[in-house]
Amino acid sequence: MKATLHAALLTAALAAAAFALPAIAEDVTIVGPIVQIDLAADGKSATAVLKDNKNGGLVYIYIADDITLDKFKDKRIQPGDEIRTRFEKGEKNLSKSFKKTAGC
Amino acid sequence: MFCTTVPKRVLAVLVAGLLMPVAAPAADDELGKKIEALTRELEQLKSQVRANEAKTAQAREAKTAESKSLGRWLSIGGDYRFRVDRLRGETKPFTDVNATFQNVQQKLQADFFANPSTAAGSSTYFGAPAAGSMSTAGALSALMQFSQAMGGVRTAEEARAFVSAPANQGLIQGIGAFGVAVPAYKPENKSLYTNRLGLDLHAKATQDVSFTGRLLMYKTFGAQDDKAVVNDGSAPFFADRVGVFDGTLGHVPSSSDLAVDRAYATWSNIAERDMWFSVGRRPSTGGASSHVKQNAARPGTGGVPSLLVDYAFDGATLGYAPDIDALPGAYGKICYGRGFESGFRYTPGNSLADTDMIGVSLVPIDTDRLRVWLQWNRGMNIFDAPTMNATYFGNTQPRANLGDIDWYGAGVLSTLKNVGRGDLNLFADFGLSQTHPNENVSSQFGFQGLLTGAFFQPEAPRDKTGWAIALGMRYDLPSRTKLGLEYNHGSKNWITFAPAADDMWTAKQGTRGNVYEAYVIKELDSAPVSSPFAKAFFRFGFQYYDFQYTGSNNWVGAPVKISEVNGQMMTLTPLRKAYDLYATFEVKF
Repeated sequence: MKATLHAALLTAALAAAAFALPAIAEDVTIVGPIVQIDLAADGKSATAVLKDNKNGGLVYIYIADDITLDKFKDKRIQPGDEIRTRFEKGEKNLSKSFKKTAGC
Repeated sequence: MFCTTVPKRVLAVLVAGLLMPVAAPAADDELGKKIEALTRELEQLKSQVRANEAKTAQAREAKTAESKSLGRWLSIGGDYRFRVDRLRGETKPFTDVNATFQNVQQKLQADFFANPSTAAGSSTYFGAPAAGSMSTAGALSALMQFSQAMGGVRTAEEARAFVSAPANQGLIQGIGAFGVAVPAYKPENKSLYTNRLGLDLHAKATQDVSFTGRLLMYKTFGAQDDKAVVNDGSAPFFADRVGVFDGTLGHVPSSSDLAVDRAYATWSNIAERDMWFSVGRRPSTGGASSHVKQNAARPGTGGVPSLLVDYAFDGATLGYAPDIDALPGAYGKICYGRGFESGFRYTPGNSLADTDMIGVSLVPIDTDRLRVWLQWNRGMNIFDAPTMNATYFGNTQPRANLGDIDWYGAGVLSTLKNVGRGDLNLFADFGLSQTHPNENVSSQFGFQGLLTGAFFQPEAPRDKTGWAIALGMRYDLPSRTKLGLEYNHGSKNWITFAPAADDMWTAKQGTRGNVYEAYVIKELDSAPVSSPFAKAFFRFGFQYYDFQYTGSNNWVGAPVKISEVNGQMMTLTPLRKAYDLYATFEVKF
């Protein structure tokens, strides 16, 4: 009976701790060609669809950094370009790094 | 109960049987309608299925077509440029070495043919007792022996012994009497027209492997050679404009030959990292910051700083671009290039080593607002002359490895948006060169070494350090007009490796002195069609070279202060000032 009580308290404490901690979003890196770029009308954000080289799946990435947005605006990054992106996996998939794969 | 129930059922059946023939036609109609409706629905379903099948087939075909389409894996582009230059210069008086040797040979041959004799003292030029009382045959023979013995000299010590030998001293003094003095003159070409065509190709072969190629032609109007820029018929002005050679093919005006300027394969995403390996004929020309004046895109992770290298190298690169939030665009790479392939070694006829270059490039940040680069290169077994055909000096080739050179560079490039009405591009680049000559001297250039000695005046090898800066700005207005200013300065012992630079007189990056340049670019307001980067523009510019030391872009021989040049024996024409007024019409597609 005592052991059961201890186990129950421990479980409750862990559950409480888990809920108390802020959710830590996972950073994911994928490489693949851009299928589509949708630049917001105000030019302050964009959504890019990438085709993951690993599994062929489409991944939506939300971009809000000026460095990348400028490259979208003047076509330095365009559909067909192969991109290496690191993003915060979540509802938005917020990009932290979005650049053409390096070479030459 | 049974009796009453049975008759009732029998009766009902009988009645129903009697009624059946009457009710049957009505049910048939209804059934028929239902069947008809069902048939229609079935047909609709069938047609829907057929339509879906057709759509699926179309999609499959489209996907197949897309996977095979050229646009998915191949991109083609290029550029064309028409250019007109008005060139003017001012030289200093000097004694032309090559012309002098030709003069002495012609004179002695003429003397011999006029009086073929072995009688002592018969030579018109070397017959005097003080000159050795030579015969006409003896004088000619002595000159040939002198030339042959000169070719056998390898080191500075041997060279000193050679020039101090009494017999040779007499001949050197005698040759001096045949010296072809070239007074100061003002070379001018009022209109030099050139065509340059570049064709670019990029093919994605597999998921992580691509091929890039660039074919390049740079032709002089009305000629199929490089005579227009090498001061044909007279001593050339600069070592990088003696003729076209491996590293400058397609970068110095010559013929309509389409040369392979770039051809390299790149393996990217190595080990699932932003790491790459690339090998082939490299994109080692037109690097930052020369792209600003060229109105070209930034070189990205390719290329090398133009202040240190502008040369079409065959080589390889291993690079890595780490993903660091605080350092966007950062990358580093190790580069290797072969400048001269010497062939089999340890043979009776070849003592030359290959000329190689290695480099380490670090770009800690690369954004529009700020790009910083740090570079170290080492050139090893530097040759004395590249392989060239039909130059003022005849067919040239490397005959000596003169030593090594270290280069260090640091630069910064920035694009500041919305400065006034437009965007401002700024760059500053610093370079340092340090020579490490070995014991060798160049016999074909009168015993000069790596930045050491003068013609027939060998100098003990010692390291020499030079430096250079390049500063520039370009202001881009919304009207598609771009205004640019650039300034270069190189010190006395500055030496770079940029013979392929896009300058007519000589690579301004290698100038020992000052170069000022101003230009205007006017882009046509014309929507791009062939690619998002397609554009057409005019460029008008002016370059002014103010040379302070001789030998810009030449690592053979010690520089001489221009103000002190006055009749010395030299292989190249010393230029004091040079001017180039130019205009271009360029199309990038």
